[in-house]
Amino acid sequence: MTEPITTSASRVRQVEAIANGTVIDHIPPAMTLKVAALLTGTEDQVFIGANLRSSRMGRKGVVKISNREISPHEASCLALIAPTATVCIIRDFSVVTKQPVPVPERFDDVARCANPNCVTNHERWPTRFVVVRGPSEARSAAPIEVPLRVRCVYCERGFAAGELALLDR
Amino acid sequence: MRFAGRQVLSIADFTRDEIVHVLTVASQVEQRGRGALFSGKLMATLFFEPSTRTRLSFEAAMLHQGGQVMGFSDAASTSTKKGESLADTIRMVEQYVDVIVMRHPRDGAARLAAEVSRVPVINGGDGANQHPSQTFLDLYTIAKLFPALLTGDRQLTVAFAGDLKYGRTVHSLVSALCHFKVKILLTAPAGLELPQQYLDECAAAGLPVEIASGLPEAIAASDVLYMTRLQEERFPDPVEFDHIKASYRVNAAMLRSAKPELRILHPLPRINEIATDVDFTPHAHYFPQAGNGIPVRQALVGLVLGVL
Repeated sequence: MTEPITTSASRVRQVEAIANGTVIDHIPPAMTLKVAALLTGTEDQVFIGANLRSSRMGRKGVVKISNREISPHEASCLALIAPTATVCIIRDFSVVTKQPVPVPERFDDVARCANPNCVTNHERWPTRFVVVRGPSEARSAAPIEVPLRVRCVYCERGFAAGELALLDR
Repeated sequence: MRFAGRQVLSIADFTRDEIVHVLTVASQVEQRGRGALFSGKLMATLFFEPSTRTRLSFEAAMLHQGGQVMGFSDAASTSTKKGESLADTIRMVEQYVDVIVMRHPRDGAARLAAEVSRVPVINGGDGANQHPSQTFLDLYTIAKLFPALLTGDRQLTVAFAGDLKYGRTVHSLVSALCHFKVKILLTAPAGLELPQQYLDECAAAGLPVEIASGLPEAIAASDVLYMTRLQEERFPDPVEFDHIKASYRVNAAMLRSAKPELRILHPLPRINEIATDVDFTPHAHYFPQAGNGIPVRQALVGLVLGVL
């Protein structure tokens, strides 16, 4: 069997081209279905490409949603579970914008704390996580650790972002 | 350096200078003795789970300086039992008092409380997370014994032995020691080692960390030996627990190889990990350590109340 076409754009088209909507590219492979579940509303037409080859990542996932752009809340969730992702806005089959998902300094009420004894799992109280940066004197200038690590502001435990379950909205 | 109105939730919230300031003020308060620093001030002690030392120590700290105390030591007797949220309990209590001291079984409960309280909240222990007043008193005890901790004249060796995985006092003290010139020596049963997060903190701070082969090496090499309690529930096999318990028990005979200045600390309660014959050696220092809770807690309360 012949090897599939390997240019990035061609691979994306292998999934399915969409006329209008959002393409989430460069998703860590293990997170592809989580991203799809996050972004899939009842009316949405969603296309999923899993374990596609990527020159940058080795393997990656792609999720395309027709006819809508993602909300700020969805972007925040996306940053938590797929911080390497790029978000492309598609209009009339053309890429209008293509940007890395913005990773905020903190995540408010996006995910459940994975520490079962954390107070946020026992009280009606929003969760909050801050991004953990690498050990450095100038902490604010230090690079974000990949894979993304976060710390619960309340119980002070550190987690790989992928360990956290997103909260239902 | 502003402390009035400040929350005392986690040792990680304090800089080196702030920690040193608290220790300095504690020393001044101790020298001053009993007085009326807290006259007209009321403390709430909200102990949602049992405590002996911490609650009594905070209450004594307040009463010795003319302050007053109200509170509870059993959540079963409060509206929490009826389903009241922690936030609502705090919003009610803060109407009555000048400062809240709280112990709670859930990690992060003190920070939640502080977010809704207008008056300072002092964390008296939140689950397995933090117990900052204990860390301040541990540091105060070490600094009193070894002024080099603060002056940096020489590198102290502080050994930690026992359950280093679950002991919040160990985690907080290791984090705090990252501000000072010390070497850390660790000895723990397999599966109860210090979590990587704290080893990373030490590495980031440039603190040397060594793993001791066992308790005898830790005793011979250290200035301070910080013992912790092994909890049976951490060991699925009772036979294994008995075996390990025996190898993490200090007795007077073992201390013959210690430096004369070695002092043994323990956050208490001690169960079997320090034999009672150690109490009669000059190395035992866990009861004076508990006593240091009074000036340290007076310093914290006085600073957050703005009277020191």
